[in-house]
Amino acid sequence: MIITENLTKYFGQIKAVEKLNLHIVKGEIFGLLGPNGAGKTTTVRMLNTLTLPTSGRAEINGLDVVREATKVKRLIGVAPQELNLDRELTGRENLRLHGLLHQMKGIEERIEYLLKWTGLSERADSLVKTYSGGMQRRLLVARSIMHRPGVLFLDEPTVGLDPQVRRQIWDLIRNLKQQGVTVLLTTHYIEEAELLCHRVGILSHGKLIVLGTPPELKAQIGRFVVESLDDGVTNYRLFEGREEAYRFAQTRGDDVVIRESNLEDVFIKLTGERIER
Amino acid sequence: MNFYPIFLREMLIFKRRLLRIGYLFSTMVTPLLYLVAFGLGLGRGISIEGVSYLAFVVPGICAMSSMTNSYSWIATTIAVGRLHFKTFDEFQVSPVTATDIMLGEVLSGVVRGLFASSLILVAGAIFGAGFPKSPVFFPVWLLNCLIFASFGVIAGFRAKSHEDTATFSNFFIMPMAFFCGTFFPVDRLPYFIKAVLYFLPLTHASKALRASFLGQGVEIISLGIMLAVFVVCFYWGVITIRRSNR
Repeated sequence: MIITENLTKYFGQIKAVEKLNLHIVKGEIFGLLGPNGAGKTTTVRMLNTLTLPTSGRAEINGLDVVREATKVKRLIGVAPQELNLDRELTGRENLRLHGLLHQMKGIEERIEYLLKWTGLSERADSLVKTYSGGMQRRLLVARSIMHRPGVLFLDEPTVGLDPQVRRQIWDLIRNLKQQGVTVLLTTHYIEEAELLCHRVGILSHGKLIVLGTPPELKAQIGRFVVESLDDGVTNYRLFEGREEAYRFAQTRGDDVVIRESNLEDVFIKLTGERIER
Repeated sequence: MNFYPIFLREMLIFKRRLLRIGYLFSTMVTPLLYLVAFGLGLGRGISIEGVSYLAFVVPGICAMSSMTNSYSWIATTIAVGRLHFKTFDEFQVSPVTATDIMLGEVLSGVVRGLFASSLILVAGAIFGAGFPKSPVFFPVWLLNCLIFASFGVIAGFRAKSHEDTATFSNFFIMPMAFFCGTFFPVDRLPYFIKAVLYFLPLTHASKALRASFLGQGVEIISLGIMLAVFVVCFYWGVITIRRSNR
C-alpha cells in the first residue's frame, strides 16, 4: 500500500510536486499520467527514497519513506526511466548483483526464471551494451522484481520503444498484475495507462488534477469526441452520445473525426494542454 | 555489512578491462615513462641520500602510481555512474548502507592501485632497483591506496559534472604527484613550500615507502598522519554518500 499526504518537492524556487495525496491499495496498478515535467519522476524518486520531500509525508506498507528508508528499500522494486543497467556486465551478472544487494537466497534459480520470463535466456551471458533498447528495458523490469518486491515503481517503462516491444513490456506488467504486486506506473502514453491501470491520477505542473478509473474519468467529460480542423487548428468537442456527436460532425464539413474519448481528452479538457506523445 | 556486491561489480568490470591490451598499456605507460626517463635516463649514475637514484625513485613512483590509480578509477567510475549512466541509483535504492557502498568502492580502488603500482615494483626490480627490504612497505602501500580511493569516492560523489573530477585531479592529485617527494626529497624545497607539503598525505606515503623500500626506519609520525587522513576521508566519504541525491 502506498500513501502520500501533502507530499511536496521544491528544487530551489522550482515547484516539482505540490501537496500530492494518494492512497494506492495492495495489488492495484496505479498510473500517474502527465506530460514531461509534470512531476511524475520526482514523485517516484521521493517514494523510492532517492529524493527527500520538501514537506509532507509518504509511507509504503506503513513504513515512512524518510525515517525508515532502509526498510522501505527491502519492500520496493524500481525500474527507472533511464536504462541504468551496468552496460559492461552481462544480463545474468546484473541480476546476480541485484540479488546480492538484497541478500537473497536462491539467486541462480530466480535468475533462470526471470531470464525465461523475459525471453532473454539466450543472451543472458552477453554484455548488456550489446542488447537492443527493448531487451535492456525487459532486463530492467526483470531486475526490478528480482527480489520479489511487494511494491513496484515503473517510471515510463516503455518510453522510446517501438510498438511491438512496448506490447511485450505490457505483457510483463499484466503478469505482475496477476501476481498481486502493487505497481505505481508513470507514463505519458494514454493507451498504456488505459490498458494497464486500475486507477489513474493525472499530474499537471506538479499538481494532481484528477483521480479515478479510466472509465470514470472519461465519463466525466463525455464518451465521444468530434475533432475538426478549424482555421488550421484542431478543435475538440465532447458529447455524451454518438448520435449527438454525429449530428455536430455533419455541420463541420469533411475534415472531421468522430472517436471515443480517452484520457488525453480528459487532460485537454482540464488543462487546455496536450500530453506530449 | 553488505559491501561485497559493490566490490564484486567493480572487480567484474576491472577484470574485463584488464583483458583489453590498450587499457593495460594506458595504465602502465605514464609511470613507466617516468621510471625510464628519470630512473634510467636522467638519474643514471646519480646517487641521492646515499642510494642510487633508481632505488630512490622507484618507491616514489610506486606511491604516485598507487595514488593516481586508486583515485582516478573510483572518482571516474562514480561520477560517470552517478551523472551519466545513473547506475548508482541501483545501489541507492537497495538496502545497503552508505558504509557498505564506501567500503566496496574503496576496496576496489585499492585493488586497482595495488595492481598498477605492483607493475612498477616489478619493472623497478627488472631495472635493478631491487625489492622492498622491510615488510612495513606493504601496509604503508595499502594505506596509501586506502587514502586515495577514499578521496576518489568523495570526488566522485561531489562532482557535478564529469569535468569536476578532472579539475580536482589537476589541482590536487597532479601537484602532489610532482612535489610530494616522488622524484626528489621534499627537504630540498624552500621552507614555506615544505611546510605546506607536510600536510599532504602523499609526502608521508613517499617518505614511508622509500624508507621501508631501502630498509630504513619509518617515521611513526608519517604513519600516524596517513592513518588519520584515511579515517577522516573514509568518514567524510560515508557522509557524502549519505547526503547525495538529497
